[in-house]
Amino acid sequence: MAKNKLEICIGTPCYLMGAADLMDTFNSLETELKSAIDFKTCHCLAEECEQAPVISFNDKIYHDINPEKLYKIIRENIR
Amino acid sequence: MELVFEEFYQSIPKFGQEVCGDNVEIIKKENKTIIVLSDGLGSGIKANILSTLTSKIASGLIAKELPLQEILSTILATLPVCEIRGIAYATLAFLVIDSEHNLRLIEIDSPAAFLYRDGKVVKLNYQEYELEDKKIREARFKFRKTDRLFLVSDGVTHAGIGGLLNFGLGWEGVAREICRVVKQNPADLKYAINKLVKIFNTFYNDKAGDDFTIIGMRYRKKRTVNIWSGPPLAQEHDKYLAQKIAGLEGQKIISGGTTAQIAARELGLELKTSLNYYKRDVPPISQLAGFDLVTEGLLTLNKVLATLKQYKPGQIPVNARDGASLFTKSLLESDSVRFFVGRAVNESHQSLNLPIDLGIRSQIISQIAEQLRRLKKEVTIAWF
Repeated sequence: MAKNKLEICIGTPCYLMGAADLMDTFNSLETELKSAIDFKTCHCLAEECEQAPVISFNDKIYHDINPEKLYKIIRENIR
Repeated sequence: MELVFEEFYQSIPKFGQEVCGDNVEIIKKENKTIIVLSDGLGSGIKANILSTLTSKIASGLIAKELPLQEILSTILATLPVCEIRGIAYATLAFLVIDSEHNLRLIEIDSPAAFLYRDGKVVKLNYQEYELEDKKIREARFKFRKTDRLFLVSDGVTHAGIGGLLNFGLGWEGVAREICRVVKQNPADLKYAINKLVKIFNTFYNDKAGDDFTIIGMRYRKKRTVNIWSGPPLAQEHDKYLAQKIAGLEGQKIISGGTTAQIAARELGLELKTSLNYYKRDVPPISQLAGFDLVTEGLLTLNKVLATLKQYKPGQIPVNARDGASLFTKSLLESDSVRFFVGRAVNESHQSLNLPIDLGIRSQIISQIAEQLRRLKKEVTIAWF
């Protein structure tokens, strides 16, 4: 079990607003970083679809994410 | 046990040509199926026009049950004359099969059909006569449950010319290949057609010297698919619907992320989501024990609708791994489609400025149902 937990919402609005890019971003992370994270996709995280795409990293919800923001969140909050 | 008549074909254009000079028309009526194959003179656009005209006229007139002589004279009077050869010409083969399994096959200048029966490929018993100066072969027989019938254009019997063989495969050679391929995988007609096309193409050294088409047909058991899309309006229906669908016979598909979550919750199962997508515009699929396919909702359904609108009867569905392709394939391979549609609206979709054509679920499903009815499938929709 890795120490960190990343969930990306792939519900319709989130997918439409770029969840696929976020999945790509995770899949192209450095191996070391990647192996420290448990990655899951899910349907609807927080019912905050108007601020899609939504992710949760280590049980904290973030909205309106793009690949750069995702990378920053992972970098800053990784344990 | 109810049986349905199933048919698939593949057409390959001559190497270097954009379109195929062979044309297939399949018309499904309530009590009969009509299949027409025509091979136009030459190749390319000209051949395509000749064969399309021939097969369209023929299938239309056969459907109206006009006598053969009338059909022939209409076609002969309509075809444009080739500038180089000074003739207008396309071969024609058509068959009509009714609900009592009685088959009537008529061939004009096309290779004899291949009947696979009891592990052997045999020629049919033809009656020959002339009509409108054309030699006509006619066969009538009762199609058995385990029979398979193949119609081909002459590009198939000539396979190998200019490639691996001097004189082509010939009827016997093709019969041998059909026999071998059908025995490899008797349960799947699509497999046989795909494999045969590969074999014939190889004889041509992957550079087909002529357009070629192969149509296969057989009887198979009726297939049912059940689709649940959308959460029901009344929450107390959640459990009822989940249990009802889990207990149904046939394939089971869930379309919609929230719907899948409800099913998982009510049935006490774990919903497994995948970590990657196969196609960028189709969200990834998930897995739920007991269900054959779990996809996302609106985007996938829209994609399915778009594919169905393009579909011509008899075509082999695309084999891809994204949710929409799998969904479409399931629909096309089934004869009876049952929709269970929940009408609860996802509030979050309302606040987004979604493109208009994305529409709402009930509209898309109604349109999908309409397309499926066009393909003569039994469709029922239950609203919750």
